[in-house]
Amino acid sequence: MRMKTLIRIACSFLMATLLPLQAGAQSEVKLGSLNDFTGPTSDVGKDAALGIREAVGYVNDTGGINGKRIKLLQYDYGYRVPEAITTYKRFRDFDKVVAVFGWGTGDTEALAPTVAKDKLPYLSHSFSAFLADPKKTPYNFIYGTDYSSNARAAMTAWYDQVWLKDPRFKAERDKGVKPRFVSFYMKACPYCSAAIKALNDHAAILGFEVGPDQDVPLTALDVKSQIIAVEGFKPHLIWHGNIVMSVATALKDARALGLKADHIVNNWGFDENLVKLAGPAAEGVIGPAVNAFYGEKAPLMDKVVEYAKKMTPGVPQQNRLIRTVQSWVDVLLMREALVRADKAGKLNGPGIKEAFESIRDWTPGLGRPPITITPTDHRPGSFVRVYRIQKGKFNLLEAVDLKKRWPEKWDMWLGY
Amino acid sequence: MYLPSGVYHETYRADNAWWQTTFVRAKMALLVVLLLVGVPLAGNYPLSIANVIGYTILSALGVQLLIGYCGMITLGHAAFIAVGAYVTAIGMLRYGLPYSVSMVLGAILAGLWSVLFGLPSAKVKGFYLIMTTMAAQFVTVDFIITQYVSRVGGRGHYFSLPPGTITIGPWVIDTELKVYYLMICLVTLCTVGMANLLRTRVGRAWIAIRDNDIAAEMMGVNVVRYKLLAFFVAGVLGGIAGAFWISSLYVVSAEHFQFSWSIWIVGVILIGGVGSLHGVIFGSVFVTVLLEALKFAVIPLSDAFPALSTGFLYIKEGVFGLAIVLFLLYEPHGLAYRWQQFKNYFNLWPFAY
Repeated sequence: MRMKTLIRIACSFLMATLLPLQAGAQSEVKLGSLNDFTGPTSDVGKDAALGIREAVGYVNDTGGINGKRIKLLQYDYGYRVPEAITTYKRFRDFDKVVAVFGWGTGDTEALAPTVAKDKLPYLSHSFSAFLADPKKTPYNFIYGTDYSSNARAAMTAWYDQVWLKDPRFKAERDKGVKPRFVSFYMKACPYCSAAIKALNDHAAILGFEVGPDQDVPLTALDVKSQIIAVEGFKPHLIWHGNIVMSVATALKDARALGLKADHIVNNWGFDENLVKLAGPAAEGVIGPAVNAFYGEKAPLMDKVVEYAKKMTPGVPQQNRLIRTVQSWVDVLLMREALVRADKAGKLNGPGIKEAFESIRDWTPGLGRPPITITPTDHRPGSFVRVYRIQKGKFNLLEAVDLKKRWPEKWDMWLGY
Repeated sequence: MYLPSGVYHETYRADNAWWQTTFVRAKMALLVVLLLVGVPLAGNYPLSIANVIGYTILSALGVQLLIGYCGMITLGHAAFIAVGAYVTAIGMLRYGLPYSVSMVLGAILAGLWSVLFGLPSAKVKGFYLIMTTMAAQFVTVDFIITQYVSRVGGRGHYFSLPPGTITIGPWVIDTELKVYYLMICLVTLCTVGMANLLRTRVGRAWIAIRDNDIAAEMMGVNVVRYKLLAFFVAGVLGGIAGAFWISSLYVVSAEHFQFSWSIWIVGVILIGGVGSLHGVIFGSVFVTVLLEALKFAVIPLSDAFPALSTGFLYIKEGVFGLAIVLFLLYEPHGLAYRWQQFKNYFNLWPFAY
């Protein structure tokens, strides 16, 4: 009797293993996706992962890749480099995917030389400027403006709209005081420190005085000592390089300790959750957004909301973030490249790379400024929208076009 | 030890020989053929699993030496593996040394680093020693390597080693198969070395210390010296493990050598059997293969339950914990003991008594 039960279980297991193999025989395109559901970046990672799943659902419902369905293989890697490597090997050797959606800066940068060697296109949520120089990382692509451009744009917008206009600073401006600036970020984290070189360079261009950088862990629960450390410097402006939870903590502690400084935030620290978590401390905070916020009026946004409701009914609408929309841009850009490569009959690494690099002034809607990717420059654009939080709402502060403003420097900033 | 009828020893040397009968020698020959020809034919994916097994064996050997043969529980061995890996990588990337030279350097430095953190063992035992080995983990990996060493060479892919970077002479190690052969060489060398070391004066001194350090000291064993020697050898083995592993990693990152890996390899020897070299190998094979098998059990179900594949990382760790608990409850001597029982059963079959 016991033996029979065992055999039954074994048989049903075998069936369960073999059946999907048969069913999957029709033509499909396999894509791998590394996501963080549980690690230190899960405050934004979970929503992004859901967005990828929903966007792929939308792509499959609307014709897939020239009729081929996308088979999405999505794994949680907990923001850990070793897991990313193991999963990448799995994508390459076992699942045999045609392209990968990446996540973190640390793992994407570390894998970049290997990705180039394997000729496996890698479109990441990390916008490290480092990944945008095809001379160094030919198979890496990003769908949003790079961190360095985002930081430069946020700094520029604050300088134009606040420092030069706000009556608070009139006395100091008239005296010719230079605006004082410090950065708060986790020094050992490649994502957080990605834009530092560019920021300090930009501070010099705009004539800022730069104070001592403060080390703030991604999982920080208390940032008071760092705030106290900069009190003597009396900064006018603080840049936060971390992610929402940690940034919210820093904002609250700055408010609690009465630090009189304005705040600019990198794009992964600036979303709907920041307003919820930091409350009144988020008032006046400035940051870039690479596309429209969730539910904002923009082409295709109705589909984003529709698929979120349909495919992930468990997550309440008010908890969805701009990250979902970013993932849609991510997936739709990938689709565009795959469709072009497939039309050319080259649905393989070099073919998809070529297809990515043929994209000019293309946008999926969703408030994403047009994307242009060339064989010599993988930065998707120079146009950054910078927002300010006012009464819990995101209001456009300034749209900065870095290329227009510093045309002679724009090419030099590649991979910076 | 079981010997078939008619096999007699006349010398001490013959009594201590490893493979005493033709049957055993034939078994070993079969194993060699299987390892050198059989596994490589299986394809890339099984090879990559074999490489993980090899890395686990190399990592756990030093832990087995400290815990199983010298009675000093360590929860910081990943630190020495990290030293081996980083020294090898820096030696190659910054100073242009050949891989083999960097590996030797990495192993020796890891050994010395291990001695440094072994010094407290002269004074403390048991739980307190566990704390000092944990200190090794946090001081080395979370502080020195994360905050300073990993920032050598600026940001970006400085510590990136795409396949093909590592070469031994004209031999370019760029595929899983080549990593596998390197692994087989190193595992054989280290295991044979350890097995022999344990039969010498040094090994007997370690075992005496493990069984009763006061008695050992009374018999004239210099306890501190031998404890530090154990730390040195364990560190060297860890260093070799680290130096080997970068060949299949593509990148060296502090995150490869976290506290969880230190715990993991202690779990491996608990499952395999404490105080046994067979245990190291059985434990590594069991744990690695179990987790891979789990993956295959999860894949067919993941279409219906996407949460299973996305959360696989945590299912994996949960199963590992469960395996340790079950082994401690039902097989406290580990797989090595079970293997012994299994062999005995067949040796005596059908007249077990």
